[in-house]
Amino acid sequence: MLPLKLLGRDWRGGELALIATALVLAVSCVTAIAHFSDRLTRAMHIQSQSFLAAERVVQSSKVVPQEWLSKAEELGLEQAQTTTFASMLSAGDEFQFASVKAVTNAYPLVGHLEMRANASDEPRTVQQGPVPGEVWLEARLLPLMDLQIGDQLQLGDGDFAITGILDHEPDRGANLFSMGARLMMHQSDLAATNILQPGSRVTYRYLFSGDDAALNSYFTWLKPQLTEHQRVIDLEEGQPRVARTLDRAESFLFLAASLAVLLASVAVGLAARRYGLRHANYVAVMKSLGAGKNKILGIYIGQMTALALIATAIGLAIGSLIQAQAVNLLEGFFPVAPPPSGIQPLWVGLATGVACVIGFAMPPLFRLAQTDPMQTLRQDWSNPDKREWLGLIPGPLSMLLLIWWLSGSLAITLALLAGLGLLIAGAAVVNRLLVRGRLASLGGSWRIALGSLQRRAGFNTLLIAAFGTGLLAMLAMFYARTALIDEWQMQLPENAPNHFLVNIAPYELDGVKQKVEGKNLEGTEFYPMVRGRLIAVNGTPVNEREQKDGSIRRELNLSWTDTVPADNKIVAGEWWSEDLNEGVSVEVEVAARLGLSLGDVLRFSIGGLETEATITSLRTLDWNSMRPNFFMLFAPGSLDTFPATYIQSFYLPPEDKLFVNELVKNFPSVSIIELDKILENIRETIGQVAIAVESVLALMLVAGVLVLVAGVRASIAERLQEAAVIRTLGGRRQLLIRSLMIEFGLLGVAAGLLASIGTEATLAVLTQRVFDMPFQFHPGLWVIGPLAGALLVGTAGTLACRSAVSQPPLKVLRELA
Amino acid sequence: MSVMLKAENLHHRVSTSEGPLTLLNDISLQLPMGQSLAITGASGSGKSTLLGLLAGLDRPTEGKIWLAGEEITAMDEEQRAALRARCVGFVFQTFQLLPGLTAQENVMLPSELRGERNAGKRAQEFLERVGLGHRLHHYPRQLSGGEQQRVAIARAFCSIANDSSTADNGILFADEPTGSLDAHNGEKVIDLLFKLNEETNTTLVLVTHEQRLAERCGAHLRMAAGEITTADLPDNYLGDQAGVSV
Repeated sequence: MLPLKLLGRDWRGGELALIATALVLAVSCVTAIAHFSDRLTRAMHIQSQSFLAAERVVQSSKVVPQEWLSKAEELGLEQAQTTTFASMLSAGDEFQFASVKAVTNAYPLVGHLEMRANASDEPRTVQQGPVPGEVWLEARLLPLMDLQIGDQLQLGDGDFAITGILDHEPDRGANLFSMGARLMMHQSDLAATNILQPGSRVTYRYLFSGDDAALNSYFTWLKPQLTEHQRVIDLEEGQPRVARTLDRAESFLFLAASLAVLLASVAVGLAARRYGLRHANYVAVMKSLGAGKNKILGIYIGQMTALALIATAIGLAIGSLIQAQAVNLLEGFFPVAPPPSGIQPLWVGLATGVACVIGFAMPPLFRLAQTDPMQTLRQDWSNPDKREWLGLIPGPLSMLLLIWWLSGSLAITLALLAGLGLLIAGAAVVNRLLVRGRLASLGGSWRIALGSLQRRAGFNTLLIAAFGTGLLAMLAMFYARTALIDEWQMQLPENAPNHFLVNIAPYELDGVKQKVEGKNLEGTEFYPMVRGRLIAVNGTPVNEREQKDGSIRRELNLSWTDTVPADNKIVAGEWWSEDLNEGVSVEVEVAARLGLSLGDVLRFSIGGLETEATITSLRTLDWNSMRPNFFMLFAPGSLDTFPATYIQSFYLPPEDKLFVNELVKNFPSVSIIELDKILENIRETIGQVAIAVESVLALMLVAGVLVLVAGVRASIAERLQEAAVIRTLGGRRQLLIRSLMIEFGLLGVAAGLLASIGTEATLAVLTQRVFDMPFQFHPGLWVIGPLAGALLVGTAGTLACRSAVSQPPLKVLRELA
Repeated sequence: MSVMLKAENLHHRVSTSEGPLTLLNDISLQLPMGQSLAITGASGSGKSTLLGLLAGLDRPTEGKIWLAGEEITAMDEEQRAALRARCVGFVFQTFQLLPGLTAQENVMLPSELRGERNAGKRAQEFLERVGLGHRLHHYPRQLSGGEQQRVAIARAFCSIANDSSTADNGILFADEPTGSLDAHNGEKVIDLLFKLNEETNTTLVLVTHEQRLAERCGAHLRMAAGEITTADLPDNYLGDQAGVSV
């Protein structure tokens, strides 16, 4: 086992330590990110699935056939059911309209309930709803009906004991327009109430969870049997806002893992190149002693394989430990404890190790095996090889294959490939400009620094590209993270409206306005609203189109206003003016889906009457604004002949929650949609995703620093030697330190400049193609990039070479010899 | 007396940016087994190139070389390496010890490359013979220049004296063995080299600048501009071909 023997001996020589360290760090960094991403993604999915209280849901306005439930049971799926309807509660002389939800024992399948057995208790987490005969009420119902825990209330023909206050239910947002405060009861009590009669407006929800294969199999079987009364809800449909946040976060994490792989492999590549150069004389000696090319290859590949196995194993272990520690440290921040990760991150780590070794560590060894044994006689270890560039192919190629596998996106992979090519080309150009510059005229330190840069012009191109990659990855991740988190925070600003008032009759309008304004609440204007159905476009009935677009399958809320609502923007046509005072403004996406354009005539059926309007403008709007939004906005006066109600949304601080009761008491016919709990849940999830993104950014910084260290170390020996010679010849310490700072600083500026260009381009692609956000120019980046490059590379380089100026030159020269 | 090394009409040219450059021009010689040959000449005369070709480290552009009875110019790199492993030892001007290995491990290396089992013991024997039995576990950086060259000599003889051959059919190539040493240490190293050469009956080819050292060899070739200019050598050192430069 000569390779292993030599591995042990080489290790003592310190040469292999660098490459092993780079490999361990590469694997551990990527494994940690992969683990972390995997666990956070799982946690985010659990958190987000809790919005449904299950992994998937079948919602129906009728009871589904028993066969459907039996099939799910056969496939081993977990099941629960909820039945939701509005009903009147009574307790003595108090009557109150409430939103009733009956649940089975298994509810919720995902997520939890929070309740209090006493009003003064802290809410506690429970996994099951009330037992038969008991009900839990939302807090504000108790004062509204003058009730206390332990009292009885009537629902239909049933009497129930109030045993708890319901503070949280995971799928409260499932039916946004369920009105009234919540009463939760056991499903088995429903029959005794005799409330549900044929024709009652009820929402039945069938909740399912299980492994993906069983779920997919079940829904493949079920979907063809669904009728128009039933639909399947998954996260995408149930909570598009959360789904989009998750999608973007996952894209970010994948990209971060890919860039970490790239950074780590650059570090391994630099270390391996240095190893190859340093070992050229070893190989020449071994060849002169009778070792053939195959023997040399056998020894070095054997060594590298053993090293790779050990380093990868250590890297996998360290990566797993880092992420476990990181999750422990951040535990308090997660609303849902991140579940253990699967085996996938270990595969990612292993693949990184293999790709780094095959792509970056092995090519220098093949080149090493070509070493001319005559070098032992010529004293020339530079091993010049015009085909050196061939050795640069396997690395990027293996990385791109790995990134393709990780990201699953050929577009991202090719974009990275193009980016890398541009970066290397840019590095060559910048390097040429640098060494041809006239900076040497600035003085002694500059002359030494410039001379050093010129001597290593070829390698410096690689070094600038490597530093540039490191800085690019760090800057791109930093800016992408900032853009994402800012955008998420903008989605739900702290004071976003969290209550909607609907069905405000015209005669109640002034009263409600006074009440809301009297409370000094931040609210939108009051929009009139009539319900109508789009029945024809340019005289053609919409029956056929109806199948394609859900937005016109149901009745639409039609409104009118004389000013463009906040967050709306006219993108085609004109808004109302003195010359234009009739027609309809249509939301641009629905117009695109229905093939509508300016000048089309739409016919609506409103309460049995028909009216026509010509499209005079198209609008974009922000569905995340939590304001009343309308597909169709008419010119003021167009719909005056139809009976309208009004709608408004406002932000109600949590401490003023009982204001809802005041409104309910004063305006019993006004419906109040309370979104505060839902928004809180969404905020928690977005907060968790933001923590994930920031944590991964920190790991990326570690990988970036790794590249800096490996880059500096790759060229340190020659620099040390030169510095020692200059000192021997009488060069002063300060002169050398200044020249090192200038040399590495210039490399850093060049790399930083390239990184800024690359980051701006990367962000342009990322934000528009991956995150689906508008492009934004980042002027600060063009300052931060070169500055960060100069500081980081300059400091790392100077620190790494400090021994050359702090130790006696003879010692440095002897050690290097 | 059988021939250990034979070269016929060697020419060696390399390409440079300024055009082809002739390093060796029509060199022929032969060296009987167990004898010694010194090659001297100014820097750039082609002596180290000739040494490398004779040892099979490279192939000449033209001409033939036989080493230990085998034509190495007809061999590929692997075959030449195998032959070197069997019967060639090297001593270099800059010692060429591997810095990560101890003195004993450096000496063991040739035996280990051949897969021999008793490499450690044999290395110890040779290190004792060069007077470094007490420095087995020292690293090159812990040894003086003279000591490092003695380790290199031990390695060279260990390389020749292997399981598959006897030392007397081995050949040792030394490239400026005293070039990095002071006079005193150089003298000691040369004494040692010739003593071991005699004890083991190996053939010795050495390149040197030192006239004194060259005079200790049985034969002496002087080179200039890639050609042999003068030769002090017995008849049996000459090649059979016409054109031998004498």
